[in-house]
Amino acid sequence: MLNLVQTEFLKLRRKKMIWFMLLAAFIMPFFSFVYYNYFEASGIDPVAFYKLAAFGYTPFIILPFVLGVFCVVLMHDENRYDMLKQLWIVPVSKMGYFFSKFIVVLIYSIVFMLISAVATVLFSVLPGFVAFEWQSVGFLAERCLEIGVLTAFAVMPILALAASKKGYIFPVCMTLLYVFLGFFITSISMYLHPVSSISVIITRSGNIQGLAFAQNINVPLALFCIFIWDALSVLFAAFSLRKRK
Amino acid sequence: MRKMLWAEWRKLRRSSIILLTVFATVLIAVIVLVAGRETTVDGFYLSDAGWYMTMVQPWATMFVLPAIVAMLGSYMICREEQDDTLKSLLLIPVNETTLTAAKMIVTFAISILIYLLLFAITFSVELVLHHTDLSVRMVLSFFKSYLLEGIGVFLAVSPIIALVSYTKKSYWLALLLAEIYSFAGLFMSMSNLTRSFYPITALLGVAGYYEMTTANLIGSIFILLLCGCLTVFILVWHGNGGKEKRFYGK
Repeated sequence: MLNLVQTEFLKLRRKKMIWFMLLAAFIMPFFSFVYYNYFEASGIDPVAFYKLAAFGYTPFIILPFVLGVFCVVLMHDENRYDMLKQLWIVPVSKMGYFFSKFIVVLIYSIVFMLISAVATVLFSVLPGFVAFEWQSVGFLAERCLEIGVLTAFAVMPILALAASKKGYIFPVCMTLLYVFLGFFITSISMYLHPVSSISVIITRSGNIQGLAFAQNINVPLALFCIFIWDALSVLFAAFSLRKRK
Repeated sequence: MRKMLWAEWRKLRRSSIILLTVFATVLIAVIVLVAGRETTVDGFYLSDAGWYMTMVQPWATMFVLPAIVAMLGSYMICREEQDDTLKSLLLIPVNETTLTAAKMIVTFAISILIYLLLFAITFSVELVLHHTDLSVRMVLSFFKSYLLEGIGVFLAVSPIIALVSYTKKSYWLALLLAEIYSFAGLFMSMSNLTRSFYPITALLGVAGYYEMTTANLIGSIFILLLCGCLTVFILVWHGNGGKEKRFYGK
């Protein structure tokens, strides 16, 4: 498995676009900076800044979308050039292939969120909106790490879908709709979609003010929701990869 | 040009992208409909006539449709290079700038059709829910909004598609840029100035979603036309660059 993961990373070196996508981690910290600068704010609660910069649209929209596109990019080239046959001949196990891609997505997601955390600290402390405190920075880093890990699991359905299709149009369209659904369904129920379940998990101790939900916070239920989607995705990937030659 | 438009349309019919676009449009409408069942103090959001037709506009425009239109345009342009059919087309000979222009016109038509489909879906839902509260004037006003959004979305994302026609391989980039570009509209709508001059929010203003002063409206129309001019400039410049490359050899 480690060899497969290493090979995946070696393949990634050829794709400059993947590294360019990491710049998306700066979007929300930058917009938070613009937002607070517009209101000429100073001495604000660090968590209020972090909520906008790292706990709001980043886990809801930006990261799932970037990871969705990343999943499709990872799968598309091999599908397009018919490389899978050669991989099966090596032999690479079909689920080993799927999980090696997933591990790459997981690492990419964690790196993305860590960059986002660093950018959040820079955009909050340097302009003087927030006083630097190790405690709040530690809280931000911990939650960003959680978001990174959980979002990788949340986009597993997209990875499974990308593994099952030769083209990229359908998985990309589904990524857009999947992210859109996750954002909208939160107001109805937070335990139906993995992306909305992540928001429940990161607000579990109630110390992120302003993230209000329609239902009570139930972390096991949120984890169960992610688990169900992932289990179904793995089954779907196993079925579709077995069917493919 | 007419033949090229016909050929582009025939090529699209073979691909599943149109079906997927329709599917995505229908699903957006369904998702907002489901979210509209959320209750407030006064009852369901959906209980207000016109709420659904109003709310589908910004959510579809800021989250999904510009990315889909950009992807569609870049797909049509990039596939010639990917499938290695560009050489054969140039041998016919087909003018590359005219070919790209034909693809842009088809994208423009599809952008309008997507919004008209969205209008048809939302109107049908409103008709079922509030047939007594709907007036002809209200429906016509929404029709105008959706039509203008279709035109505006194309103008706003056309520079991204044109840039892709320059690189030929970066359809991922087009998708990513278009999504971030449309999503940034959420923040640009906070201030009057950026709302009028940021293309995504400007198109919503022109369509009538945001209330605007006449000066801001003119500014928004100007910025959208500027996007269109930028696209034409990129295409013409790229066309001239391509001619020079072919003349001197690659």
